[in-house]
Formats: sequence, C-alpha cells, structure tokens
Amino acid sequence: MRVVIVGGGISAVYLANTLLQKDPASEVLIVSDESHPPYDRIHLCALVEKSQCVESITLDLDPRVRLELNQAVLSIDVSSKRIISAHAAFSYDKLIIATGSQPKAPFDIQGIKNASTFRCEKECAKIEQGIIGKNVVIVGVGPIGLELLDTLMRSPYPQSITLLARKEHLYSSDLSREGIALLRGIFEQDPRIRIDFNDEIVSKKVCKDEIIEIQTRNRTIDNLFLIFGAGIDPHVSFARDVLECDKGILVDDTMRTSNPDIYCVGEAAQLHKNGFIAGRVKECTLQADVAVETLLGLERKTFEQTVSIDGLKVGSFLFADVRSPSYDLKDSDNETILITHKNRIDQYIISHDRLQRFIGINTNIDLIHLKKLMEKNETIDPAYFYSNRLNSGKGRLVCSCESVYEEELIEIIKLNAITSFVELKPYSNAGRVCGRCKQDISALIAATPVNHEEAARLREERENKLKEAELERVRARINKYNTIHPKNQLSAENLEEAIASFDMSREFNQWVSMITATMHLHPDFENVVNEGVKQLNKIPIIWLELSDCSGNSEGFIKSSHPKIDDLILKYISLDYHELLMAGSGEQSENVLDNIIKYDSGKYVLIVEGAVPLGLDGKFLRIGPKGETGHALLQRVAKDAAAVIAVGSCAYDGGVVAAAPNPTGAVGVSEALGRKDIINLPGCPVNPINIVGTLLHFMMFDEFPKLDAKNRPEWAYSFLVHDNCERRGHFDLGDFVLEWGDEGAKKGWCLFQMGCKGPYAQMNCPQVKFNEGTSWPVQAGHGCFACGAGKIAFDEYANNRPLPKESHE
Amino acid sequence: MSKRKIVIDPITRIEGHLRIEVEVNEENIVTDAWASGQLFRGIEIILQGRDPRDAGLIAQRICGVCTNVHYRASISAVEDAYEITIPQNAEIVRNLVTLSLFVQDHIIHYYHLHSLDFVDITSALTADCSKAVKIAQQYHERPYRNSEGHLESVKEKLNSFVKAGRLGLFANGYWGHESYRLTPEENLVHMNHYLEALRIQHDISKAIAIFAGKTPHPQNLVVGGVTSVVDMLNPQRLNDFMFLIKETRDFLERAYIPDMKMMVKAYEESIKMGEGRGSGNFMCCGGYQFASKEQLFESGVLTGHKFDEIESFDPSKITEEASRSWYEHDLPRSPYDQKTVPFYTDLNEDGTLKSEGKYSWVKAPRYGGKVMEVGPVARMIVGVVKNSKVIKPYMDRFMKDTGMTLIDFSTTIGRNAARAVEAQICCDYLFDFMSDLIENIKYYDEETWTKYVFETLPSASKGAGIFEVPRGVLGHFVRIEDAKVANYQVVAPTTWNASPRDATGQLGAYEESLIGIKLADSERPLEVLRVIHSFDPCLACAVHVIDTKGRELSRYKISAS
Repeated sequence: MRVVIVGGGISAVYLANTLLQKDPASEVLIVSDESHPPYDRIHLCALVEKSQCVESITLDLDPRVRLELNQAVLSIDVSSKRIISAHAAFSYDKLIIATGSQPKAPFDIQGIKNASTFRCEKECAKIEQGIIGKNVVIVGVGPIGLELLDTLMRSPYPQSITLLARKEHLYSSDLSREGIALLRGIFEQDPRIRIDFNDEIVSKKVCKDEIIEIQTRNRTIDNLFLIFGAGIDPHVSFARDVLECDKGILVDDTMRTSNPDIYCVGEAAQLHKNGFIAGRVKECTLQADVAVETLLGLERKTFEQTVSIDGLKVGSFLFADVRSPSYDLKDSDNETILITHKNRIDQYIISHDRLQRFIGINTNIDLIHLKKLMEKNETIDPAYFYSNRLNSGKGRLVCSCESVYEEELIEIIKLNAITSFVELKPYSNAGRVCGRCKQDISALIAATPVNHEEAARLREERENKLKEAELERVRARINKYNTIHPKNQLSAENLEEAIASFDMSREFNQWVSMITATMHLHPDFENVVNEGVKQLNKIPIIWLELSDCSGNSEGFIKSSHPKIDDLILKYISLDYHELLMAGSGEQSENVLDNIIKYDSGKYVLIVEGAVPLGLDGKFLRIGPKGETGHALLQRVAKDAAAVIAVGSCAYDGGVVAAAPNPTGAVGVSEALGRKDIINLPGCPVNPINIVGTLLHFMMFDEFPKLDAKNRPEWAYSFLVHDNCERRGHFDLGDFVLEWGDEGAKKGWCLFQMGCKGPYAQMNCPQVKFNEGTSWPVQAGHGCFACGAGKIAFDEYANNRPLPKESHE
Repeated sequence: MSKRKIVIDPITRIEGHLRIEVEVNEENIVTDAWASGQLFRGIEIILQGRDPRDAGLIAQRICGVCTNVHYRASISAVEDAYEITIPQNAEIVRNLVTLSLFVQDHIIHYYHLHSLDFVDITSALTADCSKAVKIAQQYHERPYRNSEGHLESVKEKLNSFVKAGRLGLFANGYWGHESYRLTPEENLVHMNHYLEALRIQHDISKAIAIFAGKTPHPQNLVVGGVTSVVDMLNPQRLNDFMFLIKETRDFLERAYIPDMKMMVKAYEESIKMGEGRGSGNFMCCGGYQFASKEQLFESGVLTGHKFDEIESFDPSKITEEASRSWYEHDLPRSPYDQKTVPFYTDLNEDGTLKSEGKYSWVKAPRYGGKVMEVGPVARMIVGVVKNSKVIKPYMDRFMKDTGMTLIDFSTTIGRNAARAVEAQICCDYLFDFMSDLIENIKYYDEETWTKYVFETLPSASKGAGIFEVPRGVLGHFVRIEDAKVANYQVVAPTTWNASPRDATGQLGAYEESLIGIKLADSERPLEVLRVIHSFDPCLACAVHVIDTKGRELSRYKISAS
C-alpha cells in the first residue's frame, strides 16, 4: 500500500515511522513544501540564537520513507487519487494530511525585509540576521511570543525589544495577575525590554521593501524589525475544494476526513464532534496513532482528548501548565487558588470541586500527580493544595511525555556515565517523544559530572549479565528441542560415529557464520547455531513435489552455504525427495509411509508446487494407488512438525494459478486450510532462505518471526528497490530507456524498462543467486517480483512500468 | 501363461510425475509397457491472450530443470513471428548459457539422477582404496581426485553417514540387487565423483548466472536480444566464465568420460544384448552455428537403425495426436492448429492405468506418422552418419577406446555414453563461442538488441522456435492475433520420448525400449528404472495442451467408466 503524507513536521515523521513499524510492507512518501527534511519545530528558538543548526534538530526518519521536498501541494484529485504540486503529481492509496498550521499576520508582509512570522527554519535565519542593531517589535504574548522574547533578550544584537500585548495578559488570559506581574518583572530586568499592554499597531510607513516606521497607540518606533508571533490558522487551503472543512479539515474520531481514503491529523485537523484542534505534540501523536491503526485496518481506536502537560522552559524561569480536557475558560464556576512564595507561583483553577487547570511558575509541584488528579476527575479538597504536599521529591518534571524527573535523570546519567543525549537512549526515552525537553536534557547531561571508570565497570557487568541471560535462553530452547525430539538425541551407541561425521572444517565454520549473519543473530550465537546444526542431521525431511516444475529443487541443489553435498550428507536428513532419492515406486512409498508412521510429529514437510483442486484434484496423481496430489499433501501434512511452502506456486498457486487458472490451483496454506504454514515464495526461492528457515525452526522449535503473509521477516522484510545496487541511478534519474543503450551499458536504473523492484519484498539484492554471482537486476533485466505469487505472473512479469493506478 | 502387471509410481530421480506400468510373464520378462504422465498444468492456456513479448517469462516456468531452453525457445518463436533477427552478440550470449546448461544437465543426470541404478553405495564401503586408485587409472592417466587419501576420506564420510543412523536420500535403494555389476572399488570411484559432481554442477550454475542473472529460471532475455550487456562487456566476467568452464572441462575429461568407459566395460553384456533398444527412429533439428559457419549439431531423421538412409528434417511433418491421451481430439494435427480438449477417463478403481483406453496426459507426437527418439543419442548418431566435423572425431575416439559400434549407442548404457560424449563436445565448443564473442567486442560490436517498434509490428502472425536442447528437440509454436497470443503449443523432447501409443498402436519410445527386459526381482524392478532413466525424462516439459476456445478445464467432463 502506498501512503502519502503531506507535511514536513513532527506529525508527518511520527506518522511515517509508525506506519512502517506497524506494516513494513507499506510504501511511504512524505511530500513537504520545505527545503529541509523534517525537523523539530519546537527548537526554532535555538536556531535563532544559533545554539543549534537545522541539521541538528532534524527528526529521525525511517530510511525507507521516500521524501519529496520543495513540493507545495496545490490540490487533491480525489477521483484519480493523486495530489498535485506545481511540479509533480503523486498517486496514493491512502493520503494523510499533516500540514499543521500557518502563522497569522495582520497585514501582508510578503517581500518585506524587516518583518517576519515565526514558523519555519527560513524565518529563523531571517530573524537572526534582521535584528542586529534594530528595535525589535514582537506582536503576540502566547507561548511562541514569550519564548521568542526570552531568546532574543539573551542576544546582544537587538537595540531594544518591545512586546505588544493587545490586552492586559501574558501567556493566556487566565494566568493570574500575580503571575503576569512576575513574568513581566523577570523580562523587564533587561533595560532593553518593554512590555506594552493594551497596545497594537495602528499605522505603518512602508518604503519599497521596508517598513520605515510604525505607529502604535502609545508610541512611534523606527529602525525596527517586526515579528508576528500572534496566532496560527490550520493550513488547509489546498483541500477546501474537495474535503469538508470548517477552520480545519473536519475529521471523525478516527481522524478520517469526508473522503474515506484521506486522513488528517495535528493542527490541520478539526474534530467534527466538538471542534477541537490539537495544539500539542502529544495530541498530534495520539491522533497519528489512531489514524495509522484505522488506515491499516488494525484494532479500531478513536481519538480522545487527554490531560495535557506543557512546560515552557525558558532561560529565566520555569513554567508549567497542566490542563484537563474538560476545562472551560468561560465557566462561571471557575475559581482560582493562588499560592505565592518569593518568585514562585502555583495557580490552581477549580470548578465544581474538580481540578481543571494548574499553571505554575518556578514551581516544584509533582505535575504527574496533578495530571492523575484530573484524570480521576474526583472531587478534591482545596485545602490539600495549601499543604503543599505535592512536591515529588524527585525534582522538577523534565520530560512530561515519559514522566521523568530531574533527580531520576541525574541518577541514570551517573550510573551509566552518560555524556551525550545519544548515549541516553538505551536507558530512557526521555526527550524522544515530543522532543520539547531534548535541549533541557542535553544541558542536564552536560552539567552532571560522571566517573567513566566506574561506569565502564558497571556497563560491562550489565552487558555480561545480558549476554549470559541471552545464551541461557537459547540453551533452554535447545534443551526444549531435545525433549520434543527425543529420537534425535545422540545416544551412547552412535555418539562417536555421529560426531566423527561432522567434519568441523573451516568451511563448516564459515557457513555457520554466514547463516548466523543472514538470520540477524548476534555473533555469540555461532556456537549455538553450531550445536543446532549437529541436531539437524537427525530430523527427517519430506520434500513433496506437487504441481511444479522442480525449479525449487533444482535451486536447492545449487545451495552454496553449505554446499549441497555437505548439506545432504552431514547437515540434514533429506529422507524423501523424488528428484534425488534412490528408491522408486513401492520402495519410495515405503520410505514415506515409515516416516509418517515412526516419526509422526517430528518430521518437517517441505512442499514445492501448487495444489490443483480442479477435476477433484485429479490433474495430479502420485503413487501406485493414484492418490491425488491434494490427498497426498493432506496425509503427509497432518503429522508434520512444521510445513514449509517453498516457491511461489506453493505460496498461492503462482504461475500455475495465473489467469485463467486452468486447473484450479491454490497454494499449500489454502489447500490445507491452515494458517501456520511458513511461506518462502520466490520463483524459485533462494536456497539460503530455505536453509536459514530450517535451521531456525529446528534450533528453537519455533518459527522465525513471520510477517502478515507468514514469511520470515529476516528474509522478506526488505524492499528490493531499497537495497538495489542501481538505486543511486534511480535517485539521480539515470534510466535505461532502451535495451542495450548507453545507460544499459553503464548499469543505470531499469525502472523505465519495467523493473518491479519497488513492489517486491525479497532479499535478492543482499544475498543474490548462485553463490552471490548475480541477480536479475545485475543481469540488466530487472525484477518482476516473482515472490509476489500469482499476481507476479498476471501483472508484473513483463518489461513495462506498471500503470500508475494499478498497483496496491 | 500367466502375466502380471507391475506399477511403478512415482518414478523418482526424474523431473515430474511419471508412472510406468509393465506386464511381465512367468520368466519376469517384460511383454508390454505403458508410460503415463500424471500431472497437467496447462501453461499454454495461461499464455493465451497475453502480450507476445511476455510469453517468455511464463513459458520458462514450464520447467525448472530445462529452465533456460523454454525461455529461449519462446522468445525465439515470437522473434520468428515478427521476423526479428537478433544481433550476433545476443545469439552468442544465448548459446553460452544454453550450452553450459547442456553440460550441467548431463552431469546432474548421470551422477545424481541415474548412477544409483548402477552404483551400489553399500558395496563402495567395502572397497580397498589403494586398489581403487589403480583401477581408476586404467581409464585415465590422471583420474579426478584419485589419491588414496582422498578416497579414504570419501569412504570414511559415507561410513560415518551410514553408521550415524539416518540414510536420508539413500534409504531403501536397490542395494545388493543382483544386477549391479561394478566391483566395490569401481563403486567407490563413482561415489567419489557423485560427490564431486554436486560441486561441479554448482559451479557451472555460477557460470550460467554470470550472463543469465540466476539459475534456475534465468532472467536475461527479451524479444530482440539479451539484457546482460554490462556482464558481456566486463572482461572480468568473461574471464570468470572461462575459468569455471575450464574447471568443468577438467572434470569431464578426468571423471565423467573415464567413468563412462568403466561403465561400458562393466555392462558390456547388457550392451551387446541390446538392453533398452528402441525402434531405432532418431530425429534431430540441428543448430548452434559458429562464426566459421560450422554448426554444433547436424539435423536429420533416420528410421529403423538404417544408418545409411538419412533424410533431412522437415518441421512441417510433425503432428500430434491424442487417441490414447486424456484429450478429446484424436486425429493427428500440426502443432499450430492443435485444438485439444482434456477428456479425463480416470484410473481403474485399484489405481492402475486403463491400459486399453486413454492413459496419459502426454500426447503422441509423430514425424511423418512415425514415433521418434530424440536426445543426445540421436544427435551423436546423426552427427556421425552426416560426418560432422564437430561430432565425429569425439565419437570415433570414444568408440575406439571402448570398442563400441554405432548401434551399441541405441541401448540403455549407450544413451548414457552418447550423453557423456555430448557433454564434452558442448563444453569444449563453449570456448569457440566465447572467442567469437571476444572477436566481436574487440571490433567495437557491442550490440545486444535489435530495435523494433512493437506498435508497428504485424498484429497477426505465427512463428516457431525449434532447438536442440539437452533432452532432444524442443519446439515452441506461437500464433498471434490482435497482437496477443492466440494459440501456443509446445512439443518438448520428453513429449516425444514419453509418448503413449497412437491410433495405429505404435508404442512410444519409453514403452518400446522396455519390451524384452528381464527383471531379476520383480519386487525391485531396477532394470525398468535403468531403461527409463537413460532417456533423462522431464515430465513437466512433456505435458501440454491448448484449447483455442479458452474453455475452463475444470469443467471438462470426466468419463463415467
């Protein structure tokens, strides 16, 4: 499925990462109008003061996500499912709008060099350059305006800074007078700063591209730089024609818009039922979770507003705001309790005996506790707040998303000798959810001295313990395996011969390493794999060929790691395989019957080929009694410990089931009506994927981690296109346009020649074929997604690009 | 005189689902035989209505063993229909891949699919290694991996394998059967090469993949040429290819050919008795031309072992009929017009074939009304008869070394001998094709594709791709209407050899060759397997049908009785 996300902010990145995490098979494209990959808008102030550059606040984006920058979306064509920008069109199966909002400006400042809004990285550069030696005027007293003011006051460059407040409050209209006075006092300690209440711009003089002078109610300011941090509007103009909108795009509580294939989250979305528009990162990520779950058809969740915690960490004071979703500014029953102490203010707003909001300045109240009080929605005793028992004892709350307090963090830092934000990751997720406190935590890490030697010792101790536990787990699995397969235990009688038959040559060690690496196991597992391999020889394997071409068997005997002679003589016991076994007719039937009888529940069944169901299954008959292929499969599969379907035909019928499916062929899973069949599609499957899967199953007596189509993730969770050796040419737009042309001789991208690598989930580019000799793209032909099953033979097996709308 | 019927199903160590039924008299001599293909897939029906340019990738899936040749024949049939001549380089690259496949196929066939009919592993375990070294030296002065130490380690490997419990693939073989003729030492020499051959076939597959992307199911052909131009222009890749082929040639010279001579000697009596001899009708279409205008294989048809009466091969004399096959139309027709409707008459209640009626999914192709045997033996005999500069010297040398005459090749052992000689010829001449390629590139001919504009090609046409492939003559026939495949038909080598009876009662090649075979032990019919395996059956290739009306097969009626 191709999901296109419009927008270049935190929501877009969170959406893309979550999507790929939940469904690695989906194809995700982000279309953004900015020229930088998505970055964390919360840290824009840091860009202005140049403590960070845009690269350092860039968000972590899954590398599988495709990114289209400088593409401002102009319209949506819902009938052909495309979005259109000035330069390009992008088709989607599902579209998610996460365009956020646009800053408001009271008059048009396009082209004016000394005025700016404050929303993106470009504007930061403009502000940083523009304020030098100027009288800076900031319009807007909300969190954005205040944070900007705090940033600029630390800069030596502005000559003066004026904050224009239309009314008589700061931050929000319900902040107490005492709070306002405290904030104002803190800011105005700087003689360059002036906060003007009840003031606004009434006229301006513009000359060419510059505002020469503004007139406010109270004064005239010249030599100025003007910044609007006043308010924001949902950025949805491009969608108004095709989607139901009010202020934002109207969505239901699963974040779906009026078009079932289009979703909207974050500041651009407005809930239909109550008009709510998200403003905080936490709300945006909750909405993104809901949208992704709904879009993928997983568990159906709906978006509910939750208690929000905001922390404004500015240089000169700490600010905290906890708000219940039921808080109503205009509720006449609202009652404020104010507790002040020196430069600390705790402001509680209570309505109907329930805590609705808390605003704290330089407070040490346990915010998480307050949040819980709001969530419980029980009546409270106001006296409780006066007793000031809410101090957490763990310092201030640093990360409200992860509920991590300052003291806790310092302990983690010391214990693990953490010296950078990156090193913190294994121990705490603090600072990584909304990202607001990331800088704060970095500062905390820098300020906390650590003892490296002690920490190194602790670390090693912990790693050893972990490794020990891991190995213990694996040993337990092998023991479990031995108990389950008692017949395969080495006994005193054959011990010596059996051990002798495992020639522990260099080559053996090599392929053990190879398999360990291919299966993405830690190198320490090599010994365990080694042990597992010894056991393999004792497991009977039945390989049935049904409606097939023997291509997978032929491929299997081309196995390189290990080579086929070692494989069948030393490592596996291939007891029944029509292509290779010595006996025929009665002799081979006896072998089969004996395995089913004596090794019931122990043997592994590998099936190659489709199962024809037409003509009562009589398109295929096997054995002296003329049993149908279907009946034989059912008989042998019944008592198998595991059934592995190799090749695309066994997966879903493959080429044999291609239209018009003359013999009514289906895959093994469908023929048996079972969902526990391991699928290894491919035409043919790469033998390394068979060997790896066998090994995993036999070592651990459990399937390797499987995806939604029951294919082992270690082999099938990669898009051919992503790992293609010609991917660089795709990105550069270097395409082969005709067989044998100059591009073909240079090994350019085969997309225009119908390569279906972008639709194929296989590990071919990594492991290649015939001992890594080549693969279809290297041979200049391109991929046709042979592992996709029958659809490959109906839609992909050609040398033409897919029509845009036809693929999933 | 009472007769008994023996059913052998599945025939293992072949590609596909084949059943053989034989009738034996009191002396356990085969008096009648039936060969039956037991799987029907209908790939041609799937091909109908598709873009002719796409046919190759689907037709390729007819067989994963003869994997490259159906791909090539299909693409060539479409090129023939559109009268597209491909560049020389493309032809050479195609030949390099196909001939490497011949070599690989013949090696796998002899050692892994066939040799266990002659080689007794249990006997090899009792071999005296120093004696074995000397015995191998009787057939070549430097036999392949023939040190005493190495043979000891092979024996050790087999020994520990047997003692450790499970016999895997070797379980329930025909070990100890009285018709095994090799001594313990000769068995050991063969088992040694059985294991080495596993590696060699793996290495040849690497050579094939250099130009074909992968094998089985290569992906390097398109209508008009080949795609692996980067590999073709890379000297390192050409060098790697030559290196791998050289290693293979070494194996053929020092293992495959000497082992075959050993086999001919041990089974001399069987050869002279004519065990496995068929009708003596052989057919070849020839092909694989060098720059020097010579070609690798000659074409021609001869009947009844009359080696002095050879006629030229004329594809229009090929017909197919289905009077004893599970299809409706019984009259012989040309493959372009073949219009067959499945008509499944089932098996008897005890699971045996209805040997008086229809009994196989394989149809009966005939040449001028006659049954034909195709494959290496046909090519080698026709080559000698036509005095081929390529084939005759190799055959003369082999006959001189073994004392065989031309008619001796028309036997079970003889088919194998012909196959071994052919493997060596193909391998040696790969070097000639490679030097043709290098010559072209040296003079800046880098063409790999002939340009055409599909939309301007005729919307109706027909064409054929007929090739010598490892098991014999392969023909793909395509009829195009409205720029789509209207009719598709394949006549594969095994269709010829595994053919059932026809309306006149002529037995197919397998069937004919089984008559008169004496079984030592009717419970373990090893002699039957030998005859059948000597043809190298490939049943996935053999079963084909087309219904031009595109009816659904699953709705076809099943006869009541």
